[in-house]
Amino acid sequence: MQPSEDDPLTASLQSLPMAASSIRPPKQRLLSSDSVHPLAQSEASLPLRPASDHQRRSNPSAASLFRSTLTPPGSRSASPAPSLSSGTRSPGGGRALSGSVFGGGGGNTAFKQSLLDTPGAADNPGDPLNLVLRSFVPHIAIHGSQDVDELVREKGFSNGLWELLRPFGERIQGKVTIRDSNGLSRSWEDFAVRFTRFGDGVETPDPAVGGGGRPPTTTAANGGQSQSNSRMNLIAQVERVVDRHLSYAEDACMGGSLSPTTPTRQGFDIDATSPYYALYLRRLLSGIPLACHESFAHPVAAVMAISSRNPSPIDALRKLYVETSQGEHRLPVWVDGDYLRYYVLVHDEEQSDITKSMALFEQMKRHFGLHCHLLRIRSSQSAETDDDSIPLPRSDWMTAAEELADIERSEDDQQDYEDPTARHIFESDATAIRTFIREMVTQSVVPTMERNISVWNDQVASRRKGLSGKLMSFGKRWGAFGSSSRASSGAGAGAASASNNYDSLGYYKPDTPEAIMRRLADFAFMLRDWKLAMSTYELLRTDFQNDKAWRYHAAANEMAALALLIMPQSMSSKTRIDTINQMLEQTFYSYHTRCNSPYGAVRSIILALELLRLRGGSGIDEAVRWGIRLMEARLMGPVGDSLLRERMAICYASKQGAGSQAWGSRRRKSALWSVLGAEAWIGQEKYIQAQRCLNEARKMYSLLPAECGVQKFVVASDFLAQLNDQLKEGLRMDVSSQLMDGEGGDGLRGGGESEKVDEESETMDDRKKARRTSLISSGGGAGGAGGLETAPLTPLQPARLLHTLKDDDVGGRDGKDGFG
Amino acid sequence: MSYYFAIIGTQDNPLFEYEFGTSKQGGDGQSRFTDQARHLNQFILHSSLDIVEEVQWTTGQLYLKAIDRFFNNYISCFMTGGSIKFLLLHQPPTSAILSVPSTRNSTSIGANPTSPQTEEAIKNFFTEVYENYVKAIMSPFYKVNMEIKNPVFRSRVAAAGRKYL
Repeated sequence: MQPSEDDPLTASLQSLPMAASSIRPPKQRLLSSDSVHPLAQSEASLPLRPASDHQRRSNPSAASLFRSTLTPPGSRSASPAPSLSSGTRSPGGGRALSGSVFGGGGGNTAFKQSLLDTPGAADNPGDPLNLVLRSFVPHIAIHGSQDVDELVREKGFSNGLWELLRPFGERIQGKVTIRDSNGLSRSWEDFAVRFTRFGDGVETPDPAVGGGGRPPTTTAANGGQSQSNSRMNLIAQVERVVDRHLSYAEDACMGGSLSPTTPTRQGFDIDATSPYYALYLRRLLSGIPLACHESFAHPVAAVMAISSRNPSPIDALRKLYVETSQGEHRLPVWVDGDYLRYYVLVHDEEQSDITKSMALFEQMKRHFGLHCHLLRIRSSQSAETDDDSIPLPRSDWMTAAEELADIERSEDDQQDYEDPTARHIFESDATAIRTFIREMVTQSVVPTMERNISVWNDQVASRRKGLSGKLMSFGKRWGAFGSSSRASSGAGAGAASASNNYDSLGYYKPDTPEAIMRRLADFAFMLRDWKLAMSTYELLRTDFQNDKAWRYHAAANEMAALALLIMPQSMSSKTRIDTINQMLEQTFYSYHTRCNSPYGAVRSIILALELLRLRGGSGIDEAVRWGIRLMEARLMGPVGDSLLRERMAICYASKQGAGSQAWGSRRRKSALWSVLGAEAWIGQEKYIQAQRCLNEARKMYSLLPAECGVQKFVVASDFLAQLNDQLKEGLRMDVSSQLMDGEGGDGLRGGGESEKVDEESETMDDRKKARRTSLISSGGGAGGAGGLETAPLTPLQPARLLHTLKDDDVGGRDGKDGFG
Repeated sequence: MSYYFAIIGTQDNPLFEYEFGTSKQGGDGQSRFTDQARHLNQFILHSSLDIVEEVQWTTGQLYLKAIDRFFNNYISCFMTGGSIKFLLLHQPPTSAILSVPSTRNSTSIGANPTSPQTEEAIKNFFTEVYENYVKAIMSPFYKVNMEIKNPVFRSRVAAAGRKYL
């Protein structure tokens, strides 16, 4: 495949660093190396560069925007709360062969325990399971008064209190203890909440799609359109963000003249997730819309915040309350309005009087009860040079649109551009906020959720689960038959019979049993009570199907499958996988075909695929099967597609074989997918990714018993060689243009090294060479830390060094380049 | 409907490769693979050796039926003694990747790659090739894992393809 023509995206990005010349003075760099930031460390270890250095690091702020994919996932500071000491990951700990001939005995233990109990499951921030856990978390809406926003703006956060709090919600400090429906307590160290702006991300329901009484032909035509557009945009946004990151890495690594860190770091390690894939998942999951068919994004609580500057505080709070419950800002009708209200008084330490605030706080407590907090923060902006300032990391869970906006802003105006990653706050503020969030979550939010779960479970779900509930559902089914026949004649009016809560509106009202049970299940899922969640989703599945509420149906199936995959189970793996497949089938069909909702389809399949992979054994084959289904549906763009191909290779690579011949492993398949991934990356001119894929394919082929891969297949090995040439061509173009920059030394070494790797492993007849390639590439990685922050290229200039220096390394072939 | 047949030796090395098209239903016996598909065919065939190595232990039969699928490509396998494998990649004519082959044409060979008729036809093909293969490797000059260059063998494989597929 020929590399496609340069798309405008990459072109604009390449021109970025020239325009950007906000040079950081060296003094400031020294300062920053004292702080605890991960980037700072790598910066400190940068070798001193010659004079041309300053050209290189022209735009440090842009580099920090892409930090999430440039640093290894382990060292990234996920949230300002103290992180866990990372436990040791036992490689392949939870994996077992099962469902195949080689999975006979003993290996099945993994299916008997919850995925969370497998060692190290939730520690790695890039790990997909961890991503699942941290994406379906309670959402807390923030609704602040004018004066709070004012105060926070003075601190440098233009989007209000929400922006200040958000990074702190990503990991609650300390352990959070949760009681499940059986009364058993369990503590979680990695509990998280998501702060949203009140009223953000609302999605209008779509009464036309799947509305039971309506003729199905018109539903697909009118209703689905706008809906699918907004969803499609979300995927497109995610694609664009990841594409920016990739292009940046491409430029930075080439320009930085060192071999890229991320590719080699991932290497053959199946437990590490590619940072780009993790980013893709995170952005996909961070934008869960506030929709009617699932209640994850519905606020579990709303924070009403006023500041101590407010002249009439109690009235202001009342006004905020009224706004959330009946004003024009209130949430759509399908959201249950009965969520917890939490009242916060933000005290300005520098301008207000603490005794007055204390008195006011007492008054608040008298008026509004116990769900109150006094948050004491300083109102002035903290600078990096202040004694007690700590860096405030960006939120890991910002939406794709936000990140895109940040990146674009960093490119557009260099003058008044304020780097969103370089924010600092006072340590005392951070402590106050952490305490506030911990108190709110452990004393108000979680207990409220627990209470709701038990009430709903007693009053709605268990009645439904009992005998009378079953009878009721039978009656309903027959009733539904009657109503639908009536509806077809009576122009939809008859459909609004008491037997069906869905038909007339296109959504369930929050007080209907179905909506309550859905909330119950979602709450249970958020609090990690998989069993309760699973059984409730199971009930809902049939209900929604009978009502022909397809979007609800898809969502319930999706979550049921996920819960079933996570929870421990005594079922045999075969039946279990069959059940899960059925659910996923329904999910995919409902989302994709019936509701035309690509976002839902992509999300459900990718998550299920990841969890299936973690289950190991025949789950891996299923995972890949689903991956292929997703690719066939063409719901994702080129970036997602390539990432998915890479992921398929990793899926297959994580299947372990038995015995010395590794029977039952999938090395050849894994290599095939790596090659396909490389092909896709080369098509998009992402040579670093392509190189990594090809290296991985080689490694896989060299691990085979015959040790020769596809070499004996003439056409296939020709194709591999051809890919290699294209890759080399691409890398050389980048490397050489960077060489012309005038700084020959280490740049040449980096380029030459990667080429040596390629040439050498073209013929892989023995393990020795394969091992050597891996040694070389990892050696490149070790020295590569400096590649992080270097901003990409400077303009093309005629080459002087290229010819003379390069010939030693690569031999005759390079002479034909036509350079110089 | 196009077929790609290969005999794979013990070292993942192809001993014999042959591409042909269907001769049933007015087919001219020519393969319809695009140039892009050629290398992919080899990759796919090679990768399905993983599945062969697993499935071969589950049954006493030499014919393993359709063992693998990659998008719209189906792989059937026939084991011979000494771990030499016959692999046949067949691509149903509905080359639009999106559609899953349906059962509507289940009587015509190839339209539904997992139907009993197709399985039977491929089995007959494999059996006939096997007989000829055994005769070919009985040559005193043939050693294991050597490429089979015998033109008579090639023409007999072609004949079997015309006859059954």
